[in-house]
Amino acid sequence: MRAAAAISPDVLEQAAEWLVRLHAGGVSDDDRQACERWRRAHPEHARAWARAERLANRLGGLPPDLAMPALDRPRGASRRAVLGLAGLLALTPAGWLGWRLAQREGWTAAYRTAAGERRDIRLADGSTVTLNTASAIDLRFDAAQRTVLLRGGEILVQTAQDTAASARPFRVRTAEGWVRALGTRFSVRQREGRTDVAVFEHAVRLEPERAPASGFLTLPAGHAACFTDSRAGTAADLATGAGAWTRGMLMADGMRLADLAAELARYRGGIVRCDPAVAGVRVSGAFPLDDTDLALAMLASTYPVAARRRLGGYWVALEPA
Amino acid sequence: MEPAAVPQQASLTGVEALYCDHHGWLLGWLRRRLGNSCDAADLAHDTFARILAGRRVEDIREPRAYLTTVARGILVNWYERQALERAYLEALARLPEPEAPSPEQRQVILETLHQIDAMLDALPARVRRAFLLSQIEGLRYDAIAQRLGCSLATVKRYMKQAFVQCLAQMD
Repeated sequence: MRAAAAISPDVLEQAAEWLVRLHAGGVSDDDRQACERWRRAHPEHARAWARAERLANRLGGLPPDLAMPALDRPRGASRRAVLGLAGLLALTPAGWLGWRLAQREGWTAAYRTAAGERRDIRLADGSTVTLNTASAIDLRFDAAQRTVLLRGGEILVQTAQDTAASARPFRVRTAEGWVRALGTRFSVRQREGRTDVAVFEHAVRLEPERAPASGFLTLPAGHAACFTDSRAGTAADLATGAGAWTRGMLMADGMRLADLAAELARYRGGIVRCDPAVAGVRVSGAFPLDDTDLALAMLASTYPVAARRRLGGYWVALEPA
Repeated sequence: MEPAAVPQQASLTGVEALYCDHHGWLLGWLRRRLGNSCDAADLAHDTFARILAGRRVEDIREPRAYLTTVARGILVNWYERQALERAYLEALARLPEPEAPSPEQRQVILETLHQIDAMLDALPARVRRAFLLSQIEGLRYDAIAQRLGCSLATVKRYMKQAFVQCLAQMD
């Protein structure tokens, strides 16, 4: 910025007062003339007013339909997420809710994936964690524990035998509680207000945050269940193709189109909407997750739906063909 | 380089040392949070650029704590920019097709939104909202007072505060 353009705070304040007055309703010609006299009274006033006009031009060129949602968005979530983490972590359980809010986006997490990305992480004990699309985790590994904090999204865990002198439990923490591994391969997904768990080998125990020990559920291989913070649901057989995401596939077996659209949206950096007229259409097949455009094209060629794209594919609507 | 350098040079040397000793570590710290190397490299660069423009490096006792403090500030700005772009794209997606701006217009609008957003950054939420309702939505002061549940005088005070803030940051 040029030093010559410096304007004293007093003059800026006067300019601001004129702006406030001219934007109020019922401005008279006298007001306008008085403002004009002020502007001419001093070169510094004129410079301040030139700024005011540039500001008005900048603001006036913005379409309200676009500018309002962008500028008036809820703010500060990122600030809290980035700055507030360390302090909040120590507070439990009172701080848990705030911590969860701050964590929802997983912004401060140590490991995270973008939409459409998958990532394998090898842990210090030889266990591996695979992060699915748009997921985030933190790790707490020390003498007493092997804990994965699932901040959002979905992971597949393959635990290894603990090599430490005294075996440490391997657990996954979600917003609703704990998933304790009993030597095993399993996946955990953080949903809105619940955690989904699928077990592929051995077993895990679901420990809802607010449930008594009698409310814990041991889930054997080949089964899936969900839990809220107060109770575990009942175990069901593992769906065909559960965990296929680790190989980049989505297996649908009579899946509602609306559900499939929501699934595909997880893997795209954008929005997938489903028209209510086709939301209930049942679809089956293996869809590639690493190329969701191809998945949409497959849908359109097999079922009576069309994928309408806007904004370079950022926004897709599934509609009746 | 001679150790008996003048202060400015000494400070530059300090930054160099800071860079050599901790750049790799900072890059790793950012990469773990962002999940990709490109953005992490950009933000690490911005972090050192800000330190170079700021205080005397010799005064820094805990380099990594200091680096993460600066990097957090830069992360926050980066996330806010991302959040604005997301909100903007979603608003674009809701527009009926004939009203959608051309790709060039979109870019110009987005750049302007970033500038306005940065100017309004330091304002309290209510002040910012009053200002946007007036300047973007074109509401009258009495309508804004009703919307915000405050007096007309308060709306005027908010408006003045926001105008001062914007004018001070215009070049």
